[in-house]
Amino acid sequence: MTLSFRKSFLAASVSLAALFSAQTLAAQEAVFVIGTAEVGAPTYNPIKATMLNTATALIFDRMVSQAADLSYHPWLAESWEEAADGMSWTFKLKEGVTFHNGEPFNADTVKAWIELFKTTEGENAYMAEAIASVEVVDASTVKFVMSRPEPNLLYNLSSTFMSVVEPKSFAALGDNYGVTEVYGTGPYKLESFAVGQETVLVRNEDYKWGPAVAANAGPAKVERLTFREIPEDSTAFLELKTGGVDFLLSVPADLMGEVQKEANLAVLTMAGQDVWYMPINVTKAPFDDIRVREAAAKAINQEEILASVFGGVGAVADTFLISALPESKVADSAKIKFDPARANALLDEAGWAMGDGGVRMKDGQPLKVTLWTQSDSIFRRLTEVVQAQLKAVGIEAEITTFDSSMIRDQYKTGEQQLAVRSYNWDNADIVDWFFGGDRLGYPNVSMYNDPKAEELRTAAMTGAKNMDERVANFTAYHEYVLTQFPMAPIYQPVQAFAYNTDRLSLPATINAPSFGTAAFMDLEVKE
Amino acid sequence: MLPWLVKRLLMLVPVFLAVSVVIFSILHFIPGDPIDNLLKIGSSPEARAEMEVRYGLDKPLPVQYGIWLGNVLQGDLGTAIVARRPVADLIAQALPHSLRLGGLALLFSTVVGVVLGVVAALNRDRWPDRAIMGGVLVGSTMPSFWLGLILILIFSVSLGWFPVSGARGWQSLVLPVLTIGLGGMALVARITRVSMIEASGRDFVTLLHAKGLSPLRIQLRHVLRHALIPVVTILALRIGWILGGAVTVEVVFARPGLGTLLIKSLSQHDYPVVQACLLMLAMAVMLGTLLGDILQALMDPRVRAALS
Repeated sequence: MTLSFRKSFLAASVSLAALFSAQTLAAQEAVFVIGTAEVGAPTYNPIKATMLNTATALIFDRMVSQAADLSYHPWLAESWEEAADGMSWTFKLKEGVTFHNGEPFNADTVKAWIELFKTTEGENAYMAEAIASVEVVDASTVKFVMSRPEPNLLYNLSSTFMSVVEPKSFAALGDNYGVTEVYGTGPYKLESFAVGQETVLVRNEDYKWGPAVAANAGPAKVERLTFREIPEDSTAFLELKTGGVDFLLSVPADLMGEVQKEANLAVLTMAGQDVWYMPINVTKAPFDDIRVREAAAKAINQEEILASVFGGVGAVADTFLISALPESKVADSAKIKFDPARANALLDEAGWAMGDGGVRMKDGQPLKVTLWTQSDSIFRRLTEVVQAQLKAVGIEAEITTFDSSMIRDQYKTGEQQLAVRSYNWDNADIVDWFFGGDRLGYPNVSMYNDPKAEELRTAAMTGAKNMDERVANFTAYHEYVLTQFPMAPIYQPVQAFAYNTDRLSLPATINAPSFGTAAFMDLEVKE
Repeated sequence: MLPWLVKRLLMLVPVFLAVSVVIFSILHFIPGDPIDNLLKIGSSPEARAEMEVRYGLDKPLPVQYGIWLGNVLQGDLGTAIVARRPVADLIAQALPHSLRLGGLALLFSTVVGVVLGVVAALNRDRWPDRAIMGGVLVGSTMPSFWLGLILILIFSVSLGWFPVSGARGWQSLVLPVLTIGLGGMALVARITRVSMIEASGRDFVTLLHAKGLSPLRIQLRHVLRHALIPVVTILALRIGWILGGAVTVEVVFARPGLGTLLIKSLSQHDYPVVQACLLMLAMAVMLGTLLGDILQALMDPRVRAALS
């Protein structure tokens, strides 16, 4: 009797204690919803993966970090030096860094990690392709010997695909590395991972080597983070609204208003990495005439689109690159801005005279073109506004809508005249990707192939020995492309996030290009 | 019985082959390919050609089909091109979630459907019958995608009884099971009611009444047994449909499973995964039909007699 009483008393107190500890734990826990574009990332193996989600940036550290202005700052590399000829880089590594499995991080691990890019089957080898070999100078110094100058090396080293993995467990775990177990040096350790469902991370208590761009060097302030994967934006929003989750890592423009209606929810915006634009097929008449291209480009009223389609959130685009990139700083004359007078004058000059019904005519033919877009509602809405703006200068555009997953194959036919599309990238090499003469159709939707541009392109892609030269060469290439009007820039959105203000307190400023490691280091849960 | 079963199983072979051809070819007729999703910004045009060779996408379609079918018959579903993991692993992770959801939905629609059907039949043309059949009509005509959202709005957002989404604990199963199960429940209720009413008019029922058995006992012990034969057949047929129907419901409720895997892989054109998912769904329909035939044979003495 006494024994069973004691037993049940004990059991009761144990469960009571568990209840209390569960409560304190709950206070230290935050639930995030991964951005819809990252749902279903099947592994946390950065060397093999084709897609990685935000949680990857917390399990692993990188050699260098990037600030909001896209400049590079120390992380696992304390400092670095590039040889004048660009043929070698020397990195001084942070000391006292350990992986989650206790292995030390040093020059040997960096060498073994870089070599994984060459020996692992996958599509990421190009990230380290310019590194011919890695020399261990001393325990905390490595020298990358380059096969060619690679002024883009720091950009690659700041990418999640160049997260520093622990080489021994990588070899031992094989295909299971990144799925069942994964070891990095990051501020959080992987506790569990169910593909397409959720990932649970726990704080790395030893962490004190956070990126230079974060205020807190470590350990992180929140004990446990759960990352849920919800493919439907509206479902994710309802979870946030009902308190099921604390933070949405992506909020589509049409849900932002709904978030702002709730008293305990707020929207956080950061500079975006997307550019929306209108490619112009330079090979299809009438756009084989540069005057017609310029007219169409200058008929686009970016300010009006920003206000009417996007509610004033974001910024206008007047070059092909996001404003944070130094290569976007082209001569003012090269920027593509709304100028209806110039558009009308150019069309008159090209022989397209204003006809009846507001459509221009030449040799008895009306100025009718096709305008392609994809099925997402925001694209359709924007495209209708573009159509109206073209009509205002006498160009009649007929909209054709394609399914988003199939439009690339349509572009490959080269039949497009005008289109409305967007890209997401934070490096100037995107100009090469979309306007390189050897990728006509898709990605080169504009079918643009110009000898002078190709020359400038080669100089930009492989001609620079260091970063300053690369910026100069890419700016020149970008500027020239703009003056040929193979597209019209339209809009730069922001990255939008939504969170529960009762639960989370965010750092006042996030000095990073996206909501990643730096933001998570300074994030706090309210008691 | 045995020769019949063997014959029935052999008939599945041509059906399987036909299904496999359809699954393989429709996918390749959709514009786009997985390489587009693998190519990184900045990779060279040659990289594309290399990748096509590596994943065997450069070979003519019939050859690709032959290789795929050969591997599938040996139990090898291949490796996902975009997801870069063995397809069997991805399926093994997803399938239990779909089976649990589908199984519970089937159970729900059977139990509740039969009970409602019997109640309606026993109260034929009175108010319980009218109420149930009215409800059934609504239940069977509502698209599951929409029904799911309505249930979320009522039970999660307004009442706060169940989580909006996810797969944590039994609470997160309630709304998805209802969403899938309501349609099936309506069907089962309708069939049970009709076949009960039909069976009640048969001679053996008159005989039982003449023997002085209580009407309720006659209905529940004798009439229901007859009435359940078509219900069982329909249920077996629905096994495949329930797994297929789970596709949209899994997406709405953000549950892992065959449906979410299928949708994700389809948008990435990850051929091996989509093919495996469709094959699973097609096999579920085929095996469900077979099961329905077998059960019907076992339950109906006339069919049993005809076979032996």
